[in-house]
Amino acid sequence: MTVEIPKEDKDLIARLQDSSTCRDAFAEVIRRYSEPLYWQIRRLVVYHEDANDLLQNTFLKAWMYIENFRGEAKLSTWLYKIALNESLSFLEKERKRQNLSIDEQENALVNNIQSDEYIDGDDLALKLRQAIATLPEKQRIVFNMKYYDEMKYEQMSEILGTSVGALKASYHLAVKKIEQFFENND
Amino acid sequence: MSTDKNILDKVNRREGMTVPDGYFDDFASKMMAALPEKPKAPELAPRQRIWLRVRPYAYMAAMFAGIFCMMKMFDMMRSPSADLNIDNYPAVTAAIDNGELDNDIFNGVDENEIMESWYENGYSTEDIYTYEDSIDMMNDTIDQ
Repeated sequence: MTVEIPKEDKDLIARLQDSSTCRDAFAEVIRRYSEPLYWQIRRLVVYHEDANDLLQNTFLKAWMYIENFRGEAKLSTWLYKIALNESLSFLEKERKRQNLSIDEQENALVNNIQSDEYIDGDDLALKLRQAIATLPEKQRIVFNMKYYDEMKYEQMSEILGTSVGALKASYHLAVKKIEQFFENND
Repeated sequence: MSTDKNILDKVNRREGMTVPDGYFDDFASKMMAALPEKPKAPELAPRQRIWLRVRPYAYMAAMFAGIFCMMKMFDMMRSPSADLNIDNYPAVTAAIDNGELDNDIFNGVDENEIMESWYENGYSTEDIYTYEDSIDMMNDTIDQ
């Protein structure tokens, strides 16, 4: 599948590959992508402090490996992949550190949402976050990407390495489970 | 419309979470300050580099070799090989015509040894005579 690279990405990539403009170009990458990447990470790990650390790690890794990025994929896809890997590795490490099962970690995430210092919105929004936290990891990622980031299935497929059909099925299942969560917690 | 769809429509996509004031404004400058001076991508080992360069050619060579073998196989299946025709070996043809081959084959066999082994294996004298008669008949046929 050929990926069409947006023109602004092409210019930025060209500047990133030139050692004289690389640093300035990377500053633009941070300005452009820090917010969407932050929210992607934050939805998975819940706490702001963790999300902040992981966002920094994401950009640090991107900076270290920028020479290996050949511009065959969208810059955002590449960065999303790094951020996702960082987030999943963090959750895995936390699970092992706290000696939790996958189910126990999901429950812990639901509880963390209630104790999150930086929360906003009404009960409905909080309940939706809790409902999302109860989803299996893969469905949670797919739901976040589709619902919050309004990402196309094709780009999600590139990031997650899963077929579009499977992603659609995952999203559909996630929506059903959220619906069930609201019915059970009315 | 399902309850869930209503909920998803009602909830603002960013609602539910906030960040400290000015977080995104400060983040870029803090991040840039934390970056090392030059990006240092880990170097690939020399062997890996060579293989990466040679790999497309190796795959192409393997592909051509495969095609060649396949064509050779199809060719062999399609027509009997001319090389196997006895007319291409004049020395063998001449030897057969002169009876040299018969002599070479049969001179190496001791008839007495055959008879002894037949006796040992329980064949009667009658069987042996029958065998000798059939040999004679065969020789007559060949001579004709």
